[in-house]
Amino acid sequence: MRYLLIDTATTNLVVAIIINGEIVYIYNNNDGHDTSSKMMPILAEAFSNAKLKPQDIDKIFVVNGPGSFTGIRVGLTVAKTMAYALNIPIIPLSSLEVMASGNGGTALINARRGYVFAGSYDNDLGAVYKDSYVLMSDKLPRPYISYDKFDCETILPKIDVLKVIKKHEHDDSVNPHLLKPNYLKLTEAEEKLHSHD
Amino acid sequence: MYILAIESSCDETSVSIIKNGCEEISTVVLSQIDTHTNYGGVVPEIASRMHVENITIVIDEALKKANMRLDDIDAFAVTYGPGLIGSLLVGLMAAKTLAFIYNKPLIPVHHIAGHIYANNLVKRLEFPLIALVVSGGHTELIYMKEDYSFEKLGGTLDDAVGEAYDKVARVIGVPYPGGPKVDKLAFEGDDTYNLPLPLDDDSYNFSFSGLKSAVINLAHNEEQRGNKINSANMACSFQNRVVKILVKKTMRALKDYKVNNLIVAGGVAANKGLRKTLTKACADAGINLIIPEMKYCTDNAAMIGAAAYYAYKRGDVAGLDLNAKAVVPLN
Repeated sequence: MRYLLIDTATTNLVVAIIINGEIVYIYNNNDGHDTSSKMMPILAEAFSNAKLKPQDIDKIFVVNGPGSFTGIRVGLTVAKTMAYALNIPIIPLSSLEVMASGNGGTALINARRGYVFAGSYDNDLGAVYKDSYVLMSDKLPRPYISYDKFDCETILPKIDVLKVIKKHEHDDSVNPHLLKPNYLKLTEAEEKLHSHD
Repeated sequence: MYILAIESSCDETSVSIIKNGCEEISTVVLSQIDTHTNYGGVVPEIASRMHVENITIVIDEALKKANMRLDDIDAFAVTYGPGLIGSLLVGLMAAKTLAFIYNKPLIPVHHIAGHIYANNLVKRLEFPLIALVVSGGHTELIYMKEDYSFEKLGGTLDDAVGEAYDKVARVIGVPYPGGPKVDKLAFEGDDTYNLPLPLDDDSYNFSFSGLKSAVINLAHNEEQRGNKINSANMACSFQNRVVKILVKKTMRALKDYKVNNLIVAGGVAANKGLRKTLTKACADAGINLIIPEMKYCTDNAAMIGAAAYYAYKRGDVAGLDLNAKAVVPLN
């Protein structure tokens, strides 16, 4: 089976092609923003390195959140469009689970104003603390894993793409038309509107 | 040549298939206006969220309507700017993905070029021409010597004309989106308020913030005196000033550049006050005026597909690193 994995939810961009349980190409770099420019050239490079055409892919795994709203949309739009055009299954993944895949612990993404997106996973990627939008706290399972800087000690994620794929390989796929980002947070305008209800 | 075009620069997700820049095969426009009305204007983050939820559905509908498959498409076109960056990015990434999968040209289209080429779907453009582009985001006079050559003669120095309409609408108690309602009200009132004429100089630039502030101040002062302004009269007084200056500068540009063709583009091209006055001025001066049907005035992908054909003929093809731009000049 030939899989494509895309994660654009954080500053760490991941594009991977996996053939029969082996990584044949991976781009996994914490090189900041501008994902919208970089994403497609990296994808093109991935296919050319793997000597595959987009039409050869059997299944797409895509991170649909939480994280950077714009970042999520960039990767998700690419994945949804591919899955729709090629008529192949698409499976959503959690950015926090991908971040915690190498270590086990609590993955954190800075959500500003003292808030974080946090999710705790054990070594088998079982969710110990469900992905949430919460105030930063020191009460979650250690280690804290993040690309962002916090006052407390954190370690950098060492992601294990094969572990993530193995766990989700047989998940039910989602209709690409219905696959939505998982922001875990309303927009400010919606919050204000709801607070008047 | 069949071009599949995507437009998502503001609050409409639209996909269209256009043949040879002039024949509309199918168009789907999914408007988010009902959602944004709850907030009194377009909320950029909500617009982006809705685009990503709808993009593949709209592509699919446009193909089904055309009875075509993605393999039948010769090139993919997309609005890369100007517009709301988060909104633009959704259409941009979808177009880049399709161009990549099918190994077809990716044609970047400027939103204003799209508005101008909406007229090409009505009647083949004749050159040279002057284009008056009026919308919620733009107020520009553009000179075109030939296809896909744009020389900006002037533009707004502050508010776009549609933006001024929406703000005035709020002051006189007309709910969002106020522009079309102010236009309608203007025909029910009289020009009774003493409002200043906007920037009336030798340039082709526009300024509507002074006029807008005058309306706000007048309404405020009346309110302090315990009086209520007459909405219809205010709408009429405001619209008369706006239309007068738009028509005056447009007619002068036609004369200065010795051009006989005028096209009007953008959402405010639907304004009946503007259409009426321009039609008369052009008839008097022997100018050939083209104003698109209402459906081509608002944002749509048909116009992007029309412009894309001529952009492609000029050699505009983008790489997969094409990025969206919130602000970008037309040239």
